[in-house]
Amino acid sequence: MKSLIAGIVLAVSFAVPSAQARELPPEGGPARDFNLPAIERLTLENGLSVTLVPFGKIPKAVVRVDVRTGNLNEGDNVWLSDLTTELMKEGTELRSSELIARQTARMGGELSISTGLDQTFIGLSVLSEFTVDAIGLTAEALRQPAFPASEFERIRASLQRNRTLTLSQPQAIASSAFIDLIYPEHPYGRAYPSEEQLASYTLEQVRDYYRNNFGAQRSHVMVAGQFDRDDVLTAIRREFGDWQRGPAVLTLPPNIQSGLRLKLIDRPGAPQSTVIIGLPVIDVSSPDYQALAQMQTLLGGYFSSRITANLREDKGYTYSPRSRLSSNFRTAYWRQSADITSEHTGDAINEIFDEIERIRNEPPTTAEVQRTQNYQTGTFVLSHATPAGLLGRISFMNLHDLPEDYLDGYLSHINSISPRQHQEMAQKHLLTDQMTVVIVGDLETVIPQLENVPKLRDATRL
Amino acid sequence: MRAVVLLFLTGLISACATAPTAAPPADNSASAKQSPLTLPIHYTTLDNGLKVVVSEDASVPTATVAVYYNIGFRIEPRDRTGFAHLFEHMMFQGSENLGKMEFVNLVQSNGGVLNGSTRFDFTNYYQVVPANKVETMLWAEADRMKGLAITQENLTNQQGVVKNEVKVNVLNQPYGGFPWLDVPAYANENWYNNHNFYGDLEDLDAATLEDVQDFFETYYAPNNAVLVVVGDVDTDEVMTMIERHFGDIEASVLPPPVDISEPRQEKEKRVSKVYPKAPQPALAVSYHMPERNSPEYYAMGIITQLLLSGKDSLFYKKLVKEAGITSSVDGGINLIGNMYNYNGPMNWHMSLIHDPKVSADDIMVMIDDVIEGLRTQKVSRDDIELARIKMRSGFYGMLGSSTKFGVADLLACFALFDDDPGRINRLEQEFSAVTPELILSTAREYLRPGNRLVLEVTNGNAQASTGDAQ
Repeated sequence: MKSLIAGIVLAVSFAVPSAQARELPPEGGPARDFNLPAIERLTLENGLSVTLVPFGKIPKAVVRVDVRTGNLNEGDNVWLSDLTTELMKEGTELRSSELIARQTARMGGELSISTGLDQTFIGLSVLSEFTVDAIGLTAEALRQPAFPASEFERIRASLQRNRTLTLSQPQAIASSAFIDLIYPEHPYGRAYPSEEQLASYTLEQVRDYYRNNFGAQRSHVMVAGQFDRDDVLTAIRREFGDWQRGPAVLTLPPNIQSGLRLKLIDRPGAPQSTVIIGLPVIDVSSPDYQALAQMQTLLGGYFSSRITANLREDKGYTYSPRSRLSSNFRTAYWRQSADITSEHTGDAINEIFDEIERIRNEPPTTAEVQRTQNYQTGTFVLSHATPAGLLGRISFMNLHDLPEDYLDGYLSHINSISPRQHQEMAQKHLLTDQMTVVIVGDLETVIPQLENVPKLRDATRL
Repeated sequence: MRAVVLLFLTGLISACATAPTAAPPADNSASAKQSPLTLPIHYTTLDNGLKVVVSEDASVPTATVAVYYNIGFRIEPRDRTGFAHLFEHMMFQGSENLGKMEFVNLVQSNGGVLNGSTRFDFTNYYQVVPANKVETMLWAEADRMKGLAITQENLTNQQGVVKNEVKVNVLNQPYGGFPWLDVPAYANENWYNNHNFYGDLEDLDAATLEDVQDFFETYYAPNNAVLVVVGDVDTDEVMTMIERHFGDIEASVLPPPVDISEPRQEKEKRVSKVYPKAPQPALAVSYHMPERNSPEYYAMGIITQLLLSGKDSLFYKKLVKEAGITSSVDGGINLIGNMYNYNGPMNWHMSLIHDPKVSADDIMVMIDDVIEGLRTQKVSRDDIELARIKMRSGFYGMLGSSTKFGVADLLACFALFDDDPGRINRLEQEFSAVTPELILSTAREYLRPGNRLVLEVTNGNAQASTGDAQ
């Protein structure tokens, strides 16, 4: 296949006067320091974790609570946790949702509540002078949800609508099929309920889910930005100190399934095939994780990556190919996805497999690795430069039980990863005979092309 | 439907955090008093006509470099729909000193993120880099402003990429171009405002290297652009760098402006469109906006907050909470941007995807109930005040973002369209001047039924709608 380098040489020989006449970009000055702020952590007697991060120059503060409950905790009742958080938005025992909207608007923010596979998130960003009020409101929304019966039918219907709309998009169809194959018979693998299942949920089930899963020891209160530390701590003790301890964190490791498998889903007439190729890999707690993450960035995780350069900038097969790692508690998977013009579906899949084999067969150049490391370093600064961004990272560390000094050594670690380690990570973890492949597209066009995809010849068709 | 708003990007992957606020440990005693917003702004125009705005902000050790060209998709060539956007892609395909992929690699290997986008009235390119790399980026932007070095192979490649962009964002989506491409197409009369901005696939295929060169020579000149630098920089140092890299680029003779005006609309337009894969019907309502920067324009900003912002907004209460026919109501001023970053006629819009049980006519009754309220009764000063607070906090969120892109965007547009980037510091004042009386008179004139488009979407399976498919 034609590499990125070949593409550049071609352009140069065609149109640019001569290679030696080229001017080099100015280097720029010496790098400036970027220091992470001091992070204060404590635990209340009822098991509630607290993290305070005085940070930034804008008079605003972010108040956020992570509760260790999500789709993992709903058992077979897919989206019961989503239904619960949607209902938590409908007001508290003391205040209606409209009143909360008006009051938070006056604080300069808007209350947000959402759920994920492992956690439920609640919080808002406000002008600093309202930080204590925001803590009170967050506690109220978390501890005293009204769960109004009057709103139940509407909220359930609204989720039903969201489900239908999302599942009309090829990307959601592909993604849910893929994780179902990676995590069979586990909440991590069940992205959507059936229409009937969602319609069957009752308000009583919502109340039960809430009662059984929310409490102090599963919760982590975080405040970042500009705020008065003593006032904030007093408010947290006052608002959360008497909350019952509640259940311990639930761990429920998934059954992971790999193996060379191919799932085809027909979307007649689709102009593109939505393709996902991936497999389960080591999780965040593994010492190899950062090297794997860097290798996959170089391979397909950013614009300068090999797969993007190949599929998009060389072949023009797709607009936004992307690889990524997805991490849940003690499990992770890698996936490359792309929406590929239908008539080149087979060609593009071959190129993806070739790129994986290439990095397995030889280490990348030092320059490529350096570029990836610089990119990771730069985006680290950007994503940690705001209180909300930093809280996102602290939340991630907390979920995965990462050590408190994790961030301190992060940059020096990622800058020490060698080209040889990239190759090793690909050899160890990107096993081309263990890939799960999902294609959502016009199968009449796609299936004949698969004859010419050698890697999928022995795949189990599902 | 929200994601659709971001679509005119080149798709250069940028891993930007977008959240409030900034950098190194500060003391936490700072006052939270709300003082009027004042950003430091240095504004000059170089001899070759390049407008330059520098705004120092040391909250994060990064710098945002943005170049905006005063050419959007409105005024692309008539037989080349989608060309302005295709051209934006070509700006990444090679210049005198940077070959294909080398611009992107230069930014990312310096720890930066980047993007480009094409909008109604401008095409922009920006990078966010560690502050010490600002000159590297200025050099690279100047290099491609001087000239392109593009091959037929590069053009063919990007025609493939852009066609795939249209497929992933429109053709393979259940609601296609609804509402962001459909509303301007049906609401406007002037070709400049109502053609397919993303481009017909045949038109995209028809583009030639000569078209690319002509377009570049016509519009990509310093006297048709603004350069903005926001971040942890020293103004004098940056101005010296800018003179060094951009000072010698030659100005061009710009074509006379075209007439992009829209006639006054007197009669309601009603259109029905079929998207066979749409699982539920949808509805959009759009009104022509008052002239930009007029008192009524600012009043429409407040009206937008009252109607659409938050769970206390009028449409949320009416359509989501009371009627329960939809999960959310989207909308605002400018379908692919915000109320500040355009320069010409504009459509205000709202849209929703709704239960098939209820007809578009029934929903219009509910919508009119809300709209007629604004057209007949004065809103309270308290409601206006709350709307202003919502706008201000949105503004603070933008100032506190790590990329500073929102700030750079406003500075660039105000320099490019108004020759006055300082407007950013006077916006609060403009909104403060909006009174209940002005809201009433603005609603009476601009929220008239005769000033609007009602666009229904169905999947063609005999749902609640009537009318012909278009």
